[in-house]
Amino acid sequence: MAKYLLLLAALMCAGVANADNSKAHEPVKVDADGFKEPLTKLKFNPGLDQREFERSSLTALNVYDPLESWNRRVYHFNYRFDQWVFLPVVDGYRYVTPSFLRTGVSNFFNNLGDVPNLLNSLLQFKGHRSLETTGRLLLNTTIGVAGLWDPATAMGLPRQSEDFGQTLGFYGVPGGAYLVLPIFGPSNLRDTTGLIVDYGAETEINFLNVSKVSENHPEIWALRAVDKRYQTSFRYGQMNSPFEYEKVRYIYTESRKLQIAE
Amino acid sequence: MLRSLRCAALLGSLFLSASALAVDIDQATYGYPLTNPFEATIATTPPDLRPKLPTNDEINQSDYTLNMRPEREFSLPDNFWAVKKLTYRIAKQDRAAPLIFLIAGTGARFDSSINEYLKKLYYQAGYHVVQLSSPTSFDFISAASRFATPGITQEDAEDMYRVMQAVRAQNASLPVTDFYLTGYSLGALDAAFVSKLDETRRSFNFKKVLLLNPPVNLYTSITNLDKLVQTEVKGINNTTTFYELVLSKLTRYFQQKGYIDLNDALLYDFQNSKQHLTNEQMAMLIGTSFRFSAADIAFTSDLINRRGLIIPPKYPITEGTSLTPFLKRALQCDFDCYLTEQVIPMWRARSDGGSLLQLVDQVSLYALKDYLHDSPKIAVMHNADDVILGPGDLGFLRKTFGDRLTVYPLGGHCGNLNYRVNADAMLEFFRG
Repeated sequence: MAKYLLLLAALMCAGVANADNSKAHEPVKVDADGFKEPLTKLKFNPGLDQREFERSSLTALNVYDPLESWNRRVYHFNYRFDQWVFLPVVDGYRYVTPSFLRTGVSNFFNNLGDVPNLLNSLLQFKGHRSLETTGRLLLNTTIGVAGLWDPATAMGLPRQSEDFGQTLGFYGVPGGAYLVLPIFGPSNLRDTTGLIVDYGAETEINFLNVSKVSENHPEIWALRAVDKRYQTSFRYGQMNSPFEYEKVRYIYTESRKLQIAE
Repeated sequence: MLRSLRCAALLGSLFLSASALAVDIDQATYGYPLTNPFEATIATTPPDLRPKLPTNDEINQSDYTLNMRPEREFSLPDNFWAVKKLTYRIAKQDRAAPLIFLIAGTGARFDSSINEYLKKLYYQAGYHVVQLSSPTSFDFISAASRFATPGITQEDAEDMYRVMQAVRAQNASLPVTDFYLTGYSLGALDAAFVSKLDETRRSFNFKKVLLLNPPVNLYTSITNLDKLVQTEVKGINNTTTFYELVLSKLTRYFQQKGYIDLNDALLYDFQNSKQHLTNEQMAMLIGTSFRFSAADIAFTSDLINRRGLIIPPKYPITEGTSLTPFLKRALQCDFDCYLTEQVIPMWRARSDGGSLLQLVDQVSLYALKDYLHDSPKIAVMHNADDVILGPGDLGFLRKTFGDRLTVYPLGGHCGNLNYRVNADAMLEFFRG
């Protein structure tokens, strides 16, 4: 009996060893200089002539972008606007306000944003997420004093953003043409529609009366825009490449797919 | 008498050779958790083992620009408007303090994540910190490089030296007590050459210079990096490309997690999940990132020098022009291709023709062997499992630097720089 078990175990081990044909589990060899030769732990294709990097990258460059020329101009406009207007304003904002106030502002607008998050979670029948977002709204609006504090995150209910673009994607609507919106940045036809719908819904619901008041007080919009930029870590030029436009386009497209799938 | 002298000489040389042994950190006491060099390179240190650092809000810093090559204003196409001047970042203390220059690695800008980390570390310890882009970085090639063909380390160092002098001139009123210099990866190689240059030009009189994970033989390093995209990756087939494979793993990871949360611990956590990447996949990922750097360098260099290899010399470029066809062409060019097609021809034309071996000797640490051997102010920290090294490179470092070399047993390429133990050692070197 024991012998059979042993044989079985040996066979299973062999199976594992066969399945994992990489060299990852070979012992580390250290040469006379103390060098561990990490490349010997890799399995290379024998001819060193595979073109997988090229194939992957060239495939990745196929993003539907019929308005490319226009988009690139808007991209450069945004880049300049960001450097000459937006970021200096954000820096000024950072300079004149204490950190807790900025956090309060961010929390407040994030709490408003939880309304479309909830609606879109519901539209996608994501029960668990809808419950969590409802919990967030209740907690933050009451204990968090109209959203200025964010006790929900501390209690293990993290913010989970869902927008109408994602809802459309959830029901199988493809992204459509890639679009670079002035000021807003990268988007596509579907997500731009989503943006408009979310905006409409927000105005209709008029949560905490903010939309109503904003109509007569454009400074609320300005603060919201500054806060949005303050919260966004992306900086133009940070990819440090003459091909930043292509890279942003790919990352935007893929991250939207990821958000929709998740 | 003679015999005793001989004895003394023998003893002396024994002592000398004993004291010149490199510091080898023992793996058991080192305590770095990532034993896989590729994982360490990608994920770096788990967040709770990193040193405590100030946030950007607590640092008095700003970005400045330098007009190093005014003619580029006219010779570069419109869509390069953002890189016609060179940007750098300086963090200033409010009192007289030593100033440290940080040079970024291959293709990286002044604000690369490692540079940002080093800035916080040294700023906290009381230094003024200047962050500089690598000479191979897109913005540096366009705005500060005379020949716009990075790779000849000596020339790169001269460009860098001018930039550093301009930085000093622009901040002339900043009270500086001493100058220090450090760099990581390719930036460390540049730092060594800059230090050599400073011995004759004497603008800074660097008190100490620290090289973090430098390439020893530049050709070995680029060959290794080019080779990383040649690993046999499981899961790639006619319908799934490498990126799709990685993205689908990421998607499944987030689905299992329940929500998307991007933070410092993400990569570490991802590698500990069921979706983790194999060695080959990680190597491919590292190789991919370097191939994109190579493409950027090859394209920018070709464009500025009008060589016509990737983009036709008189091709009209406006802000609306699609560069995608040229990206497609540049992607086919790895470091070796860039070296053969652009660096070597230019170098041959300027130096009466030499062989590849001569070039490699000139641009690698070998060129500075005697200088490095005799300069007690320069030290090296390296890892025994760094992917940019080849056999014999550590031996060269041991012979050249003696006890000024510290070899860490783990960390891959720069993965342990933000480990607490390394951070302490890096600060201690400049303090002592």
